[in-house]
Amino acid sequence: MPENSAPSVVRRSLRAKPFSKADRRFYKTATVAANSSIVLVSLIFIFLMFRSWPAFESQGIAYIFGSTWDNSPDNFVLQIGPMLWGSVLVSAVGVVLAVPMAISIAYFIVFMANKRFGKIATVMIDLLAALPSVVLGLWGLLVFSPVAAGWAEMLNQYLGFIPIFQNSSGNFLRSPFIASWVVAVMIVPIIASVTREIFSQLDRELINASLALGAGRWSTFRRVIMPTSSGGVVGGILLGLGRALGETVAIFFVLNLVFDINWFSVLEDKGGSVASMILAKFGEAGQEEVAGLMAAGVVLFVVTLFVNMVASYIVSKAQPWRK
Amino acid sequence: MEKVNPMTVDLTPVARPKNAEPWKQVSLSGVATIVLASTVPIAIGLFAMLLGLKFEMALLLVFLPTQLILGVVAGRKFSGSRGQADAILQVFVVFFGMTVVVLLISVVWSVIERGSAAISWQFITQNNVYISGSTSLEYGGLGHAIIGTLMIVALSTIVTVPLGIATAIYLTETRGRTRSTIRTLIQALSGLPSVVAGLFIYAMFIASGLTQYVGWAGSLALIPLMLPTVTRVAEESLLLVPQELRNGALALGSSAWRAFYLVTMPAAKSGLITAILLGIARIIGETAPLLITTFAANNTNYNPFNGSISTLPTYLYTFIASNFDTAVQRAWGAALVILILVAILFIAARLLTRQKTAKKAGK
Repeated sequence: MPENSAPSVVRRSLRAKPFSKADRRFYKTATVAANSSIVLVSLIFIFLMFRSWPAFESQGIAYIFGSTWDNSPDNFVLQIGPMLWGSVLVSAVGVVLAVPMAISIAYFIVFMANKRFGKIATVMIDLLAALPSVVLGLWGLLVFSPVAAGWAEMLNQYLGFIPIFQNSSGNFLRSPFIASWVVAVMIVPIIASVTREIFSQLDRELINASLALGAGRWSTFRRVIMPTSSGGVVGGILLGLGRALGETVAIFFVLNLVFDINWFSVLEDKGGSVASMILAKFGEAGQEEVAGLMAAGVVLFVVTLFVNMVASYIVSKAQPWRK
Repeated sequence: MEKVNPMTVDLTPVARPKNAEPWKQVSLSGVATIVLASTVPIAIGLFAMLLGLKFEMALLLVFLPTQLILGVVAGRKFSGSRGQADAILQVFVVFFGMTVVVLLISVVWSVIERGSAAISWQFITQNNVYISGSTSLEYGGLGHAIIGTLMIVALSTIVTVPLGIATAIYLTETRGRTRSTIRTLIQALSGLPSVVAGLFIYAMFIASGLTQYVGWAGSLALIPLMLPTVTRVAEESLLLVPQELRNGALALGSSAWRAFYLVTMPAAKSGLITAILLGIARIIGETAPLLITTFAANNTNYNPFNGSISTLPTYLYTFIASNFDTAVQRAWGAALVILILVAILFIAARLLTRQKTAKKAGK
C-alpha cells in the first residue's frame, strides 16, 4: 500500500531562513554585535583575573577578610576586608535612605499627580539620573557635607545612646552617614524610574475595583499595589544597590577611607569603599600593589555583576509585557 | 404562595451614606479644614524656629507631627476612619518627594551659582599650562579639557553606537537564541562600576606595556559604560515601531534588511538619536576610568592617539581637593560646563521624543 510504505511527510522547520545575501549579512552583523557583549564581559573578567592573580596567590582567602594594607616591601600585606564591609555598609544605608524617597516619587507621579505635575516630576528624576557622579561628589564635599555633619551631630546628641549613632572622635565630617546620603541621591532616580514603570503598567482595573469597593489610598496601596508590584520594586532596589556598590568618585570625596573595620558606627569618621580605595591608591601604586588593586576590581566586578544579574532577572520577570 | 405585586415592592435605593457624594460642593467648613490643615503646620514650624529651634529639628519634630495630626483630623472629617490612613500616606509621600526635589535643586543651584563666578571667555578657551591651584582666575582655563572630552567621547561614540544599535536590532528584529541572556547581561552591564572599566583597559593595554596613558585607551574604557544605555534606549524605540509596518514591508516583497533600513529604522529614527544622546550624557561626566587610562595633562592635545589628555571630569578632579579658593572655583566652573553639556544633550533628547509623541497624537 502506497499510503503505508511512503514515509510520512518530513515536518518542515517553521523557521524562515534569510535568503538574500544582504539579509544574511544583516543578521550576521546583529548577531556578532550582540554576542560581543558576552565576549566583553569575559574579556573584562579574564584580563582582571590575569593581572590580579599574584595578589590572590600571595594573600589567599585573607585578601577578602583581612584588614591590613601595607605596601612596604618587607611586610607586604594586601587585604580589603574593611573596604568591602564599608562598601556594603554605605550601600545598605544609602538604599535605606533612598527607598522611601524613590517609592514616594513614583507613587506621586503615577497615582497622585495630574498629568502636568507628573511630567515635571519625571523630568526631574531623569535630570537627577543624568548628573555625573563627579559633580555630585563636588556638591557632596563642599555643600552637603557641612549640613549633613550638623544632622549627624544632632543624631549623636539626642540618640547617641543607640550604638549605631555613637561617635568617639567628635568629628562628624567624612563619615559613612554622609557618603550614604550622597549615594542615596544617586540611586533615587534608578529605583524611582523602575518603580514608576512597574506602577504605571499595573492593571488599572484592579485599582479602580479596589477604589470602587470603598478602599482608600492606603488600603489600595497596601493591599493591591504592593502585592502586585513588589517583585519589580525589589528588582529596582537591587539595581540601585548594584550602582551604590560600584560608586567611586563621589564617595572618594566625602568618605575617610580607613583600613580598620567599622562595623556599624555610621557617624564615625572612618569607613571604606572598594571602588574609592582603588582610585585613592592607584596613583602611587607599585606593580605588586596594582595587582592588589586589580584583585579588588575583580571582587567588585563579580559582586556588582551578580547583584545586577539577579536584579535584572527579577525586573524582567516582573515585566512580562516586555517579552 | 402569594404573588408579589411588582407595584408594591419598594424600589427606592438604600439611603446613600453621607460621605459618598463626591460631586457635592465642599462646604465652607470643609474648605476651612483644608486650608488650616495645610497652613497651620507650616506656621507652627516657623514659630518653633523663631523660638530658637534648629531648622531640621523644627521640620522633623514640630512640622511633621503637626502636619500628620492635622492631616488625620481633616481626613477623618471628609471620609471617616479610612481617611486617616490616606492622610498619613499622602503626608509622607509629599514629604519624601519634596526631600528629593530639595536635594536636586540644591545640587543644580549650587553648581550654577558657584560655577558662573568662574566662567569667562578665557576660562573656556585657555589651557592649564603654568597654572597651579593658587593662580588667579584671570589666567588659564579648561579649553584643553573641553577639547579632550569632545575627542574622547566622540571616539567612544563612533565605536559604541553601531555596536549598541546592532545589539538592539538583534534583540528586537531577530529570533536569536541568546536574546534573553544578552538582555540580562546588558542590563547587568549598566551597573558596571566605572572604575572597573578603567582597570580593565589598564590591565589590557597599559599594564601590558602596549601603550602609555593615552586618549584612545580612555575612549575604550568608556565603551562598556555607554553600551548598555544606547542598547536599551534603542531597543525600546525599536519595540515601539508597530509590527504591522514590518509585516507590510515584508509582504510587499522586501528583504528583511531593506524592510529594516527603509521602514523600521526611519520610523524609530528619533528614538535612535535619543539613544545616542543619552549614551553620550551617560559617559560625559565619567571620571574614574579616565583617571586610570588617560590621566590629565596641562597642555592642549589635539591627538587622542598620542600622549595623555585632560578631560573636564579629570580637570575638575585635579582641582577639587585643593585648599585654594581659586582652585575650588575652577572646579565649580568645570562642574558647570559639564552640567551645561549634559543639559544640552538632555534637552535635545527630550525635544526629539516630544516631537514623536506629538506626531502620534496628531494622527
